[in-house]
Amino acid sequence: MRDVTCELCPRYCTIPEGGAGDCRVRVNIDGKLVATTYGRPSSVHIDPVEKKPLYHFHPGSAVFSIATAGCNLHCRNCQNWQLSQRGGEEMERIYRAEPKDVVDAALTENCHSIAYTYSDPIIFYEYVYDTSALAHDHGLKNIFVTAGYINEKPMRRLCRVIDATNIDLKAFDDGFYRRNCSGSLKPVLDAMVIAREEGVWLEVTNLVIPTLNDDMATVRRMAHWIRENLGEETPLHFSRFTPHYQMRNLPPTPVESLHRVWNEARDAGLKYVYVGNIFGHKSESTYCPNDNTRLIHRVGFSVEEYNLTRDGRCPVCRQSVSGVW
Amino acid sequence: MMRRRFLALLAVVSGSLLTGKNIPAARQRELSLHEADFYKPHDLAG
Repeated sequence: MRDVTCELCPRYCTIPEGGAGDCRVRVNIDGKLVATTYGRPSSVHIDPVEKKPLYHFHPGSAVFSIATAGCNLHCRNCQNWQLSQRGGEEMERIYRAEPKDVVDAALTENCHSIAYTYSDPIIFYEYVYDTSALAHDHGLKNIFVTAGYINEKPMRRLCRVIDATNIDLKAFDDGFYRRNCSGSLKPVLDAMVIAREEGVWLEVTNLVIPTLNDDMATVRRMAHWIRENLGEETPLHFSRFTPHYQMRNLPPTPVESLHRVWNEARDAGLKYVYVGNIFGHKSESTYCPNDNTRLIHRVGFSVEEYNLTRDGRCPVCRQSVSGVW
Repeated sequence: MMRRRFLALLAVVSGSLLTGKNIPAARQRELSLHEADFYKPHDLAG
């Protein structure tokens, strides 16, 4: 028997010959671990960068977005479960696109960046890395949209070729990860710190799920942790939950709950706190932390008004706003 | 700007804009399998 142990993520799957890891797509073939979805995306779209969500990274730009089947988490509320909770062989559509094809297509479509997204791109790590390196050679940026459940060594290596990341912090509660995602909290926190240390632009998303992670004390602890470990200028996006997959028993997040968590995070000292999945909400926009001037007016994923100076400052008080503009 | 707004609107309405047809490699050629990084043989104890 030639078993292998995958060291990409904290699961450390031991995989027998012919078997797949927990992610379904990393397979032991003849004693070698093979990334079976390399060059085989199942989802290919052009999105605005605001959909990732990244609000402080080239606002309004178009992002060529790809994903393959598979995921190393199994969240009961997954919005993209048809993609993430399947192996490549179960997908209705599999394109053949080597890194060069992805970069060529992104350039042809006049995209500014390539995003690795939708499922968790950790599980198609090698495809992300090779495509990102080539994208840089052609002047494109790379965006990694992830839940951050990855080991330190691969994360640090990936940061060499990634320009921005949105990390989904599902809850500031290890029990939540274990009960709802079959994961754990600490590796996710570590990944965020690594992204910050390595100079990758970082924004954090937290999906607020009624009764499961909307407890104010937990939200407060999360906001304080972000401020202390990632910095007060780290954008935090609170997203509204809608019922999906195996979590259809809960209602959508009340708007009032989102107001409460928004206030809590602001009170904790975070300067850029957003509310997502509520079309037209005031907190979709960016305001100057000094004089409250509206700097970027967003409606949904659309940038309606852009008032930052070329060097990323408030035009009224000259306050510098963190981001990649 | 018009293009960006169009993209944003379309993304809101439809989730996103499918462009798989624009990937040149959608032509059905087969790719070789790619060996993964970050793994090692599993050493059994005993």
